[in-house]
Amino acid sequence: MRSVKLHARLLALFLLVLGGGSIAYQIFIQKVPVTESESDPVWVVDTQVSFQARPNTPIKARMYVPPLASGFTALNESFISNNYGVNVNRENGNRLVTWSARRGEGQQNLYYRLMITARYAEPAPLPENGPQFRPSPALEGAERVAADALLAPIRQHSADVETFISETIKRVNNEDSDNVRLLLGGDHTDENKAKVVDLLLAVAHIPAEPVHTLKLEESNSQQPELWLRSFNGQNWLYFNPVDGRQGLPQDRLVWWSGDKPLLTLEGARNSRVSFSVHRNEMSALRLAQTLRSQDASSFIDYSLYELPVPSQQLFRVLMMIPVGVLLVLLIRSLVGMETLGTFTPVLIALAFRETQVIWGVLLFTFITAIGLSVRGYLEHLKLQLLARLSVVLTFVVIMIGLISLMTYKLGLSTGLSVALFPMVILTMVIERVSIVWEERGGVQSLKVALGTLVAAVLCHLLMVWKPLVYFVFTFPGVLMILASVMVFMGHYRGYRLMELVRFRAMTEQGER
Amino acid sequence: MFGIQTWKALRRRGVMGINQRNGDYVLMYNDRRLYPLVDDKIRTKKMALDAGIQVPDMYGIVDTEQGISKLERIVETHGDFVIKPSQGAGGDGILVISDRFEGYYRTASGRMVSPEELEFHISGIISGLYSLGGHRDRALIEYRVRSTDLFDRISIGGVPDVRIIVLQGYPVAAMLRLPTRQSDGKANLHQGAIGVGVDIATGVTLSGTWHNLKIDRHPDTAHPVAGVQVPDWQECLALAARCYDLTGLGYLGVDLVMDKHKGPLMLELNARPGLNIQIANDDGLLRRCQIIEKHIEQRGAKAGTEETARRVARSKQWFAVPDLPEAPSAP
Repeated sequence: MRSVKLHARLLALFLLVLGGGSIAYQIFIQKVPVTESESDPVWVVDTQVSFQARPNTPIKARMYVPPLASGFTALNESFISNNYGVNVNRENGNRLVTWSARRGEGQQNLYYRLMITARYAEPAPLPENGPQFRPSPALEGAERVAADALLAPIRQHSADVETFISETIKRVNNEDSDNVRLLLGGDHTDENKAKVVDLLLAVAHIPAEPVHTLKLEESNSQQPELWLRSFNGQNWLYFNPVDGRQGLPQDRLVWWSGDKPLLTLEGARNSRVSFSVHRNEMSALRLAQTLRSQDASSFIDYSLYELPVPSQQLFRVLMMIPVGVLLVLLIRSLVGMETLGTFTPVLIALAFRETQVIWGVLLFTFITAIGLSVRGYLEHLKLQLLARLSVVLTFVVIMIGLISLMTYKLGLSTGLSVALFPMVILTMVIERVSIVWEERGGVQSLKVALGTLVAAVLCHLLMVWKPLVYFVFTFPGVLMILASVMVFMGHYRGYRLMELVRFRAMTEQGER
Repeated sequence: MFGIQTWKALRRRGVMGINQRNGDYVLMYNDRRLYPLVDDKIRTKKMALDAGIQVPDMYGIVDTEQGISKLERIVETHGDFVIKPSQGAGGDGILVISDRFEGYYRTASGRMVSPEELEFHISGIISGLYSLGGHRDRALIEYRVRSTDLFDRISIGGVPDVRIIVLQGYPVAAMLRLPTRQSDGKANLHQGAIGVGVDIATGVTLSGTWHNLKIDRHPDTAHPVAGVQVPDWQECLALAARCYDLTGLGYLGVDLVMDKHKGPLMLELNARPGLNIQIANDDGLLRRCQIIEKHIEQRGAKAGTEETARRVARSKQWFAVPDLPEAPSAP
């Protein structure tokens, strides 16, 4: 026993030194910022192109990538593909990447990653001259008449190119007009409206082109947003084809211009392009250094920041789980509060991420109470354990459905946030509370449920505490330290706080 | 500060905490693979019978739906009997039949039960209604223990039992568990039964515990719980000590009942016995366990296990309570 204890202590010490050392290395040698605050936003745009390759034919995928002329600086740009040749070239102010392979089979995934920041961007260069005139397309019959009928008042109400375009967009979005309806031809999508706007401008000899932009905000899937732009002789003017808003917002990244599709494929089908945008934090110091050297030898290397963005978001959550588990361990071994297993409170804490704490606690309490009362009722019917649990769980699902519906009708959007994950956790909790009820009685199960709830709330608060999340994610050595504490706790033989109360009767006698 | 002083006081008295019990005793002495031996009452009973340990007679086992019809034949010759789920917990699903009347069965609480109801109850047991996790279970039909009248004045309903904790075959501490109205006739401390410490050396009861409090009188009958002699004490201790050889579990709680005619019978074994026995005995388990561990260490690993009688004698000598309470005078 003594040797085992020593072994465990040595292991704990080793983990502590390893974790502490790695953190010290990151802080003092790599100069990784300890807190998130001293940092600049870096946007990481991940583009995933997936398609089904046709067997035995050469594959060629051409996709537009941002030309990077407009107010952003690329920190890092990478094309990730297996067995594909990559070629980037410019074409009419756009950049085009071509992936090519002799053959491929089955599902293919290509990735394009761009890390950009607005901070050290060069002032936008003077725009090259755009076209100022274009020939009008040949329109026939009713369309000609409709276009002319629309353009006449627009001409009257506008002073220059800028106001002309705004007015055109306004008119096209007014779907009450028969002329507009005719030109739209029943297709009321924003894209088609943009096309009609473009058509009208072409009839009026005003050059314009669609631009496809991406919004820089945290998102896992977004589609490029369509804008129109026109060159007025000095500058590019940007217009939102839906509401006629003028001027491109700061958080838009121009991806490509023109009306060609984003991706053209040869030798493949079922293509899908998805964008995910993630805001990363990078210290101002490191950012500057990265920009200066432009080679990738920064602390980003071999850190979790190298992972694809969706995985990073997952890891931010995942890395906090040991923190929660340790908290539950301490609550159980030091305080002596009873919880449903070690992992359940952490799972509930994860569910709180989606439901918000207060709402989550209410939901947890309410639905568990309902579930248990159904259980109590079924007890009279002498149903078997499994059948009884199944009925309880079915009722829980019905209850959650009703709650979602009711809160939606009442206009509380939080009700809908009862997504799949919290629901699964809730049903699991009710099953486990029911089992405790079966085995150890009602009072005990309430005690355990309350302990679980308190532990879950504490865990949640700790697990979403931003500075800690940043610290754990940036310094994974923390996990080693956590493991070390856990190993140490495994040999903790002291009293639990609750036991000091439980055995108090014995001290009174002893002191007398 | 209150916490630190309490902590120190408890340490001085050798009180064992849950962390310590789990880590240094249960985990250390009890092989997980042996747990099924004590979780299944039928297996425990068969093992005890093979080893010649006194247990309530087993009348029969019903383990299939078809077998339920055998019930009539099993209990034919017995006026009273008990039906138990083999893997039940906390006393759920136990039906005590005390008498028969015109083809009906009378339960201990006086309710009349038709044979159909009885069969339905057994069917519930077999389908896992009372077993942990809802596994299929077996119904055990056995001898109904008739409580000695010695504890009549300090127990309400149900049958009191004696819990003896045994470390490596040496009895450590003993507690008499007395049902109360609150515990509904069950001798389970969690459900409100009271625990009364028993002197290992003599088998005389000490003070009691109820809901972690120390008490001197039974909450329902108001009779003092101290000073009652547990009958056949020597036999109780020997029985408990032998359960270690029987199961191989080094840290064990042995539950015994005192039958009016058959003396002490082993009812159940527990691989994780609770800690309230410390309050009942007003003595720390850790202190006592360390005495035993020191003794075993001194004997050395090669010496092997001492024989039962020696172990019991040593425990009696170590854990004798110096000044026993006076027996209550008859009212």
